[in-house]
Amino acid sequence: MSDLRLFSKALLGIYLLFAVIALSTSALCIHTVDQELSREYQSNSEQIAKVIADASVDVLLNRDLSVLQSLVDQYLSIRSIKYIYIADENGDVIVHTFVPQVPAEIVATDRRTTASTHRSLTGIGSVIEVVSPILQGRAGTVHLGMDAGLIGLKIQSAVGREIYLISVLFIGSILLTLLLIGTAARPLHRLLSYQRQLAGEDDGFGLTPAEVTRLLERRDLAGDLARLAQRSPSPPQTNRADPL
Amino acid sequence: MPNARNCRYGAMLWGLLVSAMPLAANATALAADPATPDREPIRIGMSAAFQGPSRQVGIELYRGIATYFSEVNRRGGIQGRPLQLIAYNDSYQPDRAVDNALRLLESDKVLLLLGFTGTEPVTRVLPLLKKYDSDHGLMFFPFTGGAAVREAPYDGLVFNLRPSYRQETEALVGELVAHGHQRIAVFYQSDSFGRSGWGGVRKALTDRHLQLVGEATYARGTMYTGSLDRQVAILQSAKPDAIICIATYAASAAFIRDARRADLNVPITTVSFASLDSVVSLLRQIGAEDQRDYLQQLLFSSVVPDPKTSAFPAVKEYRALMNQAAALPPTALLDANYQPSGYNRTSLEGFLDAKLLVAMLNRLGKNLTRASLAAAVVGMKDLDIGLQHPLSFQGRNQASDEVYFDAINSSEVAGKSAVDEANK
Repeated sequence: MSDLRLFSKALLGIYLLFAVIALSTSALCIHTVDQELSREYQSNSEQIAKVIADASVDVLLNRDLSVLQSLVDQYLSIRSIKYIYIADENGDVIVHTFVPQVPAEIVATDRRTTASTHRSLTGIGSVIEVVSPILQGRAGTVHLGMDAGLIGLKIQSAVGREIYLISVLFIGSILLTLLLIGTAARPLHRLLSYQRQLAGEDDGFGLTPAEVTRLLERRDLAGDLARLAQRSPSPPQTNRADPL
Repeated sequence: MPNARNCRYGAMLWGLLVSAMPLAANATALAADPATPDREPIRIGMSAAFQGPSRQVGIELYRGIATYFSEVNRRGGIQGRPLQLIAYNDSYQPDRAVDNALRLLESDKVLLLLGFTGTEPVTRVLPLLKKYDSDHGLMFFPFTGGAAVREAPYDGLVFNLRPSYRQETEALVGELVAHGHQRIAVFYQSDSFGRSGWGGVRKALTDRHLQLVGEATYARGTMYTGSLDRQVAILQSAKPDAIICIATYAASAAFIRDARRADLNVPITTVSFASLDSVVSLLRQIGAEDQRDYLQQLLFSSVVPDPKTSAFPAVKEYRALMNQAAALPPTALLDANYQPSGYNRTSLEGFLDAKLLVAMLNRLGKNLTRASLAAAVVGMKDLDIGLQHPLSFQGRNQASDEVYFDAINSSEVAGKSAVDEANK
């Protein structure tokens, strides 16, 4: 523990640095994934809505609504699509995929609008609804609800993976730091034992002559201090605290 | 609601119509010896729900078709060639129906497709027929009243016996309005079948300057054991004085059960896809368990006459053959727990489908190919199969417009046999 006390400020600094890295990269990741996915979802949804709108013209004008229903039902297999409905030129819902009914929030809105909206629907959740006009709106509009919760789920998944990676790196770094601290502290321990040996104290870790020789031959701070201690007279006996 | 009346769409039946009749069903071998080319079987392909919530439709339709084919084969077949019915299960799943149609047309080399079941599966198979247009892939008598099989661009590729859901819903709305019902709601399946019926109800109401007062949907594949309380609550809040179900028999029965439990006691009607016999059977069963009468104020539209009492020669023949040697689907298709029904509208429709097809094939003589069939079928007329009128395909792809009504009131369930007013 004495080693940790010696390096506690350095460790605290490392922790803080990692926290800053983790938070900033997660925030950046959330922002980027959110932006990119939302943009991609919106773009895909608009394309799908347009495909349905284009395919609907002929069916709406010439064929039975059941054919249109069959067409939109096939798009429900796409995981991110929560619902599709088609309103006629008067705004009346003529085809939809809701069970057991068209949500009240949709019934209450003007279904002739072509602006995309973010909705929160009872029993369905958060959706991004994109709209594509059929025959420039003269024949109606196709409305497609994309699961906004799925975007959130993808963000959570991406951030979760990143946090996992950072955590692994963090734990690895701590272990490496402890190893390095242990390596750095070992000559100091020897120096302390050597000084106690010179002072005639026995701390139970007495150095062998070979270890003393190696310590005195070191070309670092521990070697310098050992050589200095060798040349210095023995200090008076006092109650000493652990210098570390 | 009155107990009996005639209507312009056909016979109106009031009273008890269903009683399970045990039937000794014998599996009948339909395939014959293909050794000699002259006696090569005429292969007919079928895909239907033999398993899952709508299995009764597929199984009973098969039984009707196969029973008549067996009789034809017993009498020597078509120009000496036996009929072979090749059937696959699609569990009422559109993608599986498409796979089955491909297999039948490409691998089994069937002459034609017969008795495909359900609006959504059939609608999804239609583009395949268009793809096979040059190869004359034709579909006969699908078990659906959907509009897609009656209109361009598939009207030359599909031939129907039964009337459309639009005709059925028009008749139902007309009947309800004639009896003073103005606040009509609809309960329907969330797919093309439901939309077809919903569109028909909406149009019929609009033509009478009325509007739907409420609507609720359910998911395809809903089992009878599932709860439809939410749908009932939605419709109850609209305060309808009559409800039309565009639903399978399982969902119709579940809805009627839950509606009655919630004291929604207005008349409830269904279209032909919800076979009366199956609905009543389920309601009787649950009624016995609950000590409650669910068979009140129910009106069913059907596309075939009453199988138990009709005096039409074709229906008499149906009863006789079903008694003698009713067929069963092959073991691989048949659910081990399935108990064959007695006389019922679904097997009768299959029987009439087979009878009409055989009448058409007999007219073609020995030149029996996809191409000759495609060329000859349009314009065929006066095909007398023993119904009220001879049937024709002149200028259209639907042979019958007859819609029959069956009303159920529990007071008449006990023992009184139904009367087919049109046959009197």
